[in-house]
Formats: sequence, structure tokens, C-alpha cells
Amino acid sequence: MKRFISLCLALASAAGAGAVVGAVRPQYGGTLRAEVDAAIGTPDPSSPSSDPAQDAARARIATLAFESLTAIEPDGLHPLLATAWQADPRASRWRFQVRSGVVLHDGTRLEPWQVAASLRASEPAWKVAAEDEAIVIETGEPLPDLPWVLADARHAIVVRGAGGALIGSGPFRIDRVDLSRVSFKAHEPYWRARAFVDAIQIDTGRRPEAQLADLEAGRADIVGVRAIDARRLTRRGLRVEASRPLELVALVFEPHRADDSALAWRRAFAATLNRDAMCSVVLQGEASPASSVLPGWLSGYARAIASADGPRLSASAIGALPIDQRTVVVRVDPADLVAQAIAERLAVDAREAGFTVKVQAPVGLAPRPDARLVRIAAPATTPDRALAQMAARLVVRGAPAAAAPPASAALEATYRAEQALLDRVVVVPIVHLPQLFGIGERVGAPSTAVARPAGGWSLADVWLQGGRP
Amino acid sequence: MTLRARLFAVVGLVVAVSVTLVTITISAAARRSFEALDRQRTSALLAQFRREFALQGDDVARRIDRLAASDALQRTALDIGRRGDYAPFAGEASSMAAAQGLDFVDLVAGDGTIISSAEWPARFGYRHRWAGSPRAGSGAFLQAIELPGETALGLVAVRQVSSGPRTLYIGGGRRLDQQFLRALTLPDGMRALLYRNVEPEVSRQQLVDASGQAPPAAPLDPLIARVRQTGQESADTIEWADGPETVDAIPLTGPGGDVLGVLLVASSGRELAALLSRIRWSGIGFGALGVIVGAALSYAAATQVTRPVEQVADAAGRIAGGDWDVRVGDVDASREIGALARAFDTMAVQLVDQRDRLVQAERVAAWRELARRLAHELKNPLFPLRITLDNLRRARTLPPHEFEEVLDESLTTLDTGFKSLNVVVGRFGDFAKMPAPVFEEVSPNEIVERTIQLVRAQIEAPDRPPVLITLDLDRACGSVRADPEQLGRVMQNLVLNAVDAMPKGGALTIRTLPAAAGVRIDVGDTGEGLTDEERERLFTPYYTTKQHGTGLGLAIVQSVVADHAGRVWVDSAPGRGSTFHIELPRTQADAPAGASA
Repeated sequence: MKRFISLCLALASAAGAGAVVGAVRPQYGGTLRAEVDAAIGTPDPSSPSSDPAQDAARARIATLAFESLTAIEPDGLHPLLATAWQADPRASRWRFQVRSGVVLHDGTRLEPWQVAASLRASEPAWKVAAEDEAIVIETGEPLPDLPWVLADARHAIVVRGAGGALIGSGPFRIDRVDLSRVSFKAHEPYWRARAFVDAIQIDTGRRPEAQLADLEAGRADIVGVRAIDARRLTRRGLRVEASRPLELVALVFEPHRADDSALAWRRAFAATLNRDAMCSVVLQGEASPASSVLPGWLSGYARAIASADGPRLSASAIGALPIDQRTVVVRVDPADLVAQAIAERLAVDAREAGFTVKVQAPVGLAPRPDARLVRIAAPATTPDRALAQMAARLVVRGAPAAAAPPASAALEATYRAEQALLDRVVVVPIVHLPQLFGIGERVGAPSTAVARPAGGWSLADVWLQGGRP
Repeated sequence: MTLRARLFAVVGLVVAVSVTLVTITISAAARRSFEALDRQRTSALLAQFRREFALQGDDVARRIDRLAASDALQRTALDIGRRGDYAPFAGEASSMAAAQGLDFVDLVAGDGTIISSAEWPARFGYRHRWAGSPRAGSGAFLQAIELPGETALGLVAVRQVSSGPRTLYIGGGRRLDQQFLRALTLPDGMRALLYRNVEPEVSRQQLVDASGQAPPAAPLDPLIARVRQTGQESADTIEWADGPETVDAIPLTGPGGDVLGVLLVASSGRELAALLSRIRWSGIGFGALGVIVGAALSYAAATQVTRPVEQVADAAGRIAGGDWDVRVGDVDASREIGALARAFDTMAVQLVDQRDRLVQAERVAAWRELARRLAHELKNPLFPLRITLDNLRRARTLPPHEFEEVLDESLTTLDTGFKSLNVVVGRFGDFAKMPAPVFEEVSPNEIVERTIQLVRAQIEAPDRPPVLITLDLDRACGSVRADPEQLGRVMQNLVLNAVDAMPKGGALTIRTLPAAAGVRIDVGDTGEGLTDEERERLFTPYYTTKQHGTGLGLAIVQSVVADHAGRVWVDSAPGRGSTFHIELPRTQADAPAGASA
């Protein structure tokens, strides 16, 4: 009897061990379900858009089907469709060796002239020509960070087939584009290796709350997650992955509060902010305090930026201010709960210091605010370009100096421009936010992360439990 | 005021006063009853509020006890002690509040730092204001709770949670707001309001009723301010647009005795006001009815009393108007009024008798006066006739040619004398035979002008004293119905009389002017004037103040004016001249009753 029991226990242990091995071993097959909050319209990464959320969602999806010449990985810049590159001394004429043997989604091989045509479409100002197995890019002006620039999804190589079909070289090919869903299928002859999953189904235009609910209910495998919901998922045992910080949340004072006479007041107000508490509690450890516009990984000099926050005034000193200076109306996007949570903490911090902050999240007409809490993306490109783009989005009426672009592409010039931007304290950086993704229980953990460092998904190496063994 | 009106006033006053007194008495009794009822209802509501307050407090304390003893909180306390980092626990309070159905739950570190706050999650890391060891373990208490956009009033309890060396506090409770007010059972006509005393000044935004709306509260402000200031109960009667309301204000204090809120128990006085209004209007209605009935009764009573008196008065008026045959002996009256009527009839009989005797005496006197005047008038012409006859008798002895001469003279004298007699007789005859007037449309102004034209030569004769004639004729007089011949004679008599009254000359003024009943003609002189006796006898026939007058001129004037339904009178005083006034109606139909000279 004891032998029988021991045998049963041994069999049960073996079966359990097999199940565990099956759970961690990569498997082929299955359809991965993902959701994004924006409606993307077309998956063409070079298609112009005025909606940052749509740009981000489109870039995220585009990387599944379209590849760039270079890619930003956690450990730095890597070649992708280009195998090597070199520039002239001025860094205005570049030669990129195009990877050979890359099969496009239509079964043809990727040719350098197709790469050149794609880049000419996305950057009309450049002169791009194919030379043998390479392409030559003449930017006109020195552009030492061009390989970083080309890693951007906007510069992904898109071959336009008959009837305007979008053809790429990525691990997945576009199968179908509907109003609220984009479907992909695995690209069998992918030049690296075929993806584990057979297909990807991406629902677009899903609200964050709905995405969260779908993930928790097992109706979705990968969704976008807000920082304020991250702890909720981890407590349920679900994984949350983050990109590098790709968004800046900043307080931007309106023109009537932006003149030099109010500089000391703005500094005093900025000094009340408790960024650490915002990051650790409100944003649940998924954000980093920001004292600069550009995130540190992008500029490299973030720690060198001198804080423009003034000394904290005593409550009595603030109480002695005129009533209109003690009361600050901060406007936030009524649809952005993250910004609202930050604004509420900002209001608490300021209130404890003696200010009265009214958080205004209007859906219609509302009184003129004193400041706005803005949330802008930090493009994964060169620091000067990123600062120029971000500063342009921080432009407020009556404060054009706040958006002065860097004088040159030199990092020092970018640093000086950013420092000058922050010295006026019209723009007060608060936190840098990454893109967060909730990963469902079905998704097997690959060696590489699902979230790419510069945003987007890396789904070629993801498998689904219960997929085809 | 007539007897009837006086009687009416007295009866009306008595009825009105009686009804008013009854109304006031009933109103006062109703008011006292309502006030007593109000006090009872307010006391009952306050007792209910205190009971509900205690029940809610016990419930809050029980729920906080459950939370403090829960495994989840114990585990959290352990985790906090182990990690030393509060950040992962910032959302704990919200789930605890949801689990226990509480509006507020705060997880507070031993040093007072907020670890998690359900009602204000963003406030973590700051110092908590009320959850601390002094209040841990005690019952529920009232507390002002800070929230993102407001300060609320809450019924809260605090408990201590110990896990190893670390101490945590958990505090929480429920809002004291319209939900709480809704739990109160309010009788009809009563309402409960809650004022949250969380602002430096009285703010209407802090006043809620069971519906959660801030009622219009301006009239309540002074009452709330008083309770805030004194911390004592107070009451006021508020006059709203739709009626009065009695409001009792009870301070709600926190553990430190500070006034955190004010409970307002309002009892509508609208029912009382409506009842008082009904009583008042009933009083007015009954009063009006009483006055009407009293008026009818008083009219009937007054009629019984005043009708015989009115008959006597009417009879007296008719006697005064010349109807001497009136008697009131058949009047239906009480004893006193009957005696009055009989006395009146006796008086009327005596008056008729005396009048007849007076007429008889006046008639005799008139005949005597006529005889005296006639004798006087005839005596003057008869005396030369008798002398002439004596002369003729003596002349029979004279020679014939002398007799002829005397005869001629005598015949001439006799002729003159007879003519004088004839004139005298003619005048008396004319007065006796005054013809009836022939009416036609005549202009008084033309009559006056024609008269002056006729007599001007006579007045302005060289041997006459100078008389200044002034005519002041108003063209607005128009015309009157009159006999132009007789009216001319009247004017002629008056003008010549006026001239005769001014033997040394003077001013003659004739004026015409419209009068109420027609036209007035004034003839004034600046002569010697008349004495009172002369004025009284002026229109008596054969009375004259002149040496050669017949005394018929003014009698004729009065007779003609009377025939024209007009009247004539004189204003005069010695030394100030005289003015004769004639007033004629435009038509005879316009003549005033009893018009006479």
C-alpha cells in the first residue's frame, strides 16, 4: 500500500513538473489580444496626425509591421534594417548599408531603392538615394544623431504596393484594418525568426478603464495602463511593464501669470510641489520626479539642470500675499485622470504651504485659469529635436520665449536652451511618465520585455500559454 | 348728524367692537395653542435628533472597531512596520471605507502622518488634524473634516492599532449632512436644517436641508451668527414671503466645545397664520353682516321715531310756504311725538287766526292811508277852486268889463284845477289798473340805454344840478322774457328817483350783470341815502319822502317786477347813497319759487 501511495505521489509530482515546464516553455500559436486607447485610423507611421495619443498608438502598432533602419534597445542604439552606417566629417552625408535577405510581407526582397523611397516620403527635406546595397542620406545640415532619429517609428520603412497597400518587413503583416480593430498575422519568412503567436488582434479606441477591466477579466492580453492603476494590477498578480520615461507632466503658467514681475511668486509656488510623493504614491512608483523638460535618458544632462524652484515661503509670508496671488486656478484635461490625480496632490501641497489651488477640469466654458497641467510626449529622437518639439507644445499665448528652440544641435546648446526655458519658471516640470503596459496571465514571459524602451511593443518573442505547442 | 345716522353709527360701532373683541380673543387662544404645540413638536424633534445622533455615533464606533480588529488592518500594520514605506498603502483607506460603508476613513501613523485617506487620497504624507491618541478609544464625536473642495461635518471615531513597536491610528465616520436629516421623521409643517460652521463668516453655502439644497437663508443669518457666537440655543421667528416660521437653533459642538454646526428646527407658522387669517376674515364677515343687520334694524327703529318728526317738520315748512291749512293731527306716533303734533296743530290754528286778524288790520290801515293820501292830493287842487268860486261870487258886483276879466281868469284857474284833479285821479286809476305784462325777448341793456336816452335831456337840463351818468352794461347778460313797456317804466321811475335823491348833483350808475337766476340791474345814486325806517316802507304804496311825490312810483316798480317773477331790493345807508337792485329771470319758468319784491 505504501508503494502504491509512493507511486501515485511520484506520478503526480511528474505531472505537476510537466505542467510547470509547459508554462514557461515558448509555444507557437494563438491570437494575442491587445488594446489601445486611441483610434489610429491608418497604421501608416508617416501619416500626419495632430493627436499625440493617436501618434503614440500608431507608433506602437506600426512597429509590429514596419521596421526602421535602427532601433533603440535598453542597452542603446542597435542596427535593424541597416547593418552599418558612416557619415562624412560634417555629419550631413550619411551612408547606411541595407540589410540583405530581408523578405517583405508580399514575399519580395527589400531593395535599397525601396528604403530610399520610404525615407524620402517621410522626410521630404532630405536627399535620399540608393547606391548598390546601401542608401545615401544628405540632410543638408549636420545631423550627428541621425541613426537615433531613424529609430523613430515615423521613419519606419514602408513600401507602398499596388492599390496603396502598406508593406513592411516586420514580424507581423497587416491582415485587416477596421474602424476599431487592426488585425495582424505572423510574417512567416521574417528575417529574424517567425513570431510565436499566429496573429495579433488590436482593439483601438478603448478607454483606459475598459482596457483595465478587459485585462483583469482575461478578455485582453496586453493593454495600456495608467500609473494610478499599476498597483492594482500587481496586487492581482499581473505584470506591468514600463518603457523609459516618455512623457512630461508640467505646470505651465498662463500669460497673465507669466511676466517677469511674477517670477518670485512662481518660484515660491513651484517650491511647494512635492514631486517625490507624487511619484511614489499618486503614480505608484511608476514615474520619476522631473526637474527638466527632457528625461535624463534622452538628454543625459538632466541632473545638471539647476532647479528654478525658489525657497519655500512660510505660511505667514504666503498669507501676506494679495488674495489673487494666493489663489491659483489650475486647469487639467477632464479626460485625463492621471493629470487630475497629480493636480489634486499639487493642490494639497500648495494648500499646506498657504496657497489656495482650485483644480479646474472643465468640459465646457470655464473661467480663465492661472496655469495648466500639461502632459506632452518626449519623442525618442535627438535631444535638440525632442526639446524643440516639446517646447513647441509648451507654447502658451503671450510667452513665446518659453518655447525658444535650441540654437544648434550641439548638446550644450540644447542644455542652455532648456535651462533658459526653465529659469523663467513659466514651465515647471513635475514628473516624467513612462508608457505602462499591463500583461495578461496568458502571456508567457520572454527574455526580452514586451515594452520597448522608446515605446511600443516587442511582440515577436511573446508566446501565449495554451497556444500551439 | 340726523337721528337716523346717529342711531346707525351707534349700532354699527357696537356690532363692530363686539366682533373685534371676539376675534381677538379667539385669535389669541389659537396662537397660544399653536405655540404650545410647536414647543412640543420641537422638543420631540430634538429628542429624535439626539437619539439618531447617538445611534449613528454608536454605529460609526462599531464599524471603526471592526476595522481596527480586522486581519487586513493588522496585516497592513505589520507590512508598514516591516517596510517603513507608506507609499504602497496609500489606497488602503478607500477600500476600508467602501467595505464598512463609511464616508471617511483615515489611516494615520503614530506620528500623525497620513498614510492613507479615503476622503482625500492626495493628502497622504501630511499631518492629520484629528485622529490621534487623545481621542482613540472614545466614542464617536463631531468633527470638521477637510475635503478637497470643502470642509464637511462628520460623526467620527478613532481607534489605535498596535503592531509591534509601531502604532497606527484609524479614524473614520460618516458625513453629517442631508442624509442624516433625511433619517429624521419630520411632522407636517416642520423642517430641519443643518448649518456647517466651517467658515470664518456665516455662509449660506453651508446650510442644507434634507433635500441637500441650500434654502434661501438670508433671514436666518442673524440667528446662526448668534448661536455661533454664544454657543447657546436660540430661537427666532422668521417672516418668509409665504408666512412666518419659528426657528430653534441648537449648537452642535465638537470635543473641544467649539461650535461645529447648528441644527435649525423650523416650525412653520403658516397654518397658524392661515387660521388667524380665517378667524380675522370670519370676524370681518360677521362684523359686516352685523353692521348690515344692525343698520336695517336701526333704520326701522329710526324710521318709527323720525317719521312723525319729519311730518311735523314738513308741515311747518308748508305753513312757512303759505299753506295754512296743513295739519299733522293724524300722525302715527308715540306719546311724546303725538303731543308734539297736537301742539303743532294748535299753533297752526292760532297762526291762521292771528294772520286773518293781521290782514284785516292791515287792510283798514291801507284804506286809511289811501284816504289820507287821497284827501291830501285832492285838498291842494280844491283850495284854488274854492278861492276862484269865492272870487266869482264877489265879482258879480263888479262892472261887467271887470267881471268878464275876473270870469276869464277864474275859468282859467278852474280849468287848471280840474286838470290837476284829473291828473291825481288818473294816477290813482293807473295804479289800480296796472295792466298784465306782455312778455317778449328783450335786452335789459337796450331797455337801460333807451331809458337814459329818454330822460337824459331832463336830467341834464340847465336848471338841474349836474349828474354824472355812468353805464356799466355787461354784454353777456343776453336777453330776458319781459314786457319792454313796463320794464322801461320801472327803469324810468328808478332813474328819476335817483336823480331826485341827488338835489345837489352827484353820480348816477347803472349796471347790468348776469345773475344766478337771470339778469340783475343795479341803479345807484350818491344822494343822502335812506334810513332803516325809510328802507322798510319804501315800497309801500303812497309812501314818499318827496314833497310832491304820490308814493306810487316804487310801488309800481315792485308790482311790475313781481309780475315778471323777479325781485327788487335796496341797499342804502344815510349819507352813502342808495342802490336799487332788480333781478329778473330769463324766462318766467326760471323764476325762483316765492320770488317777490
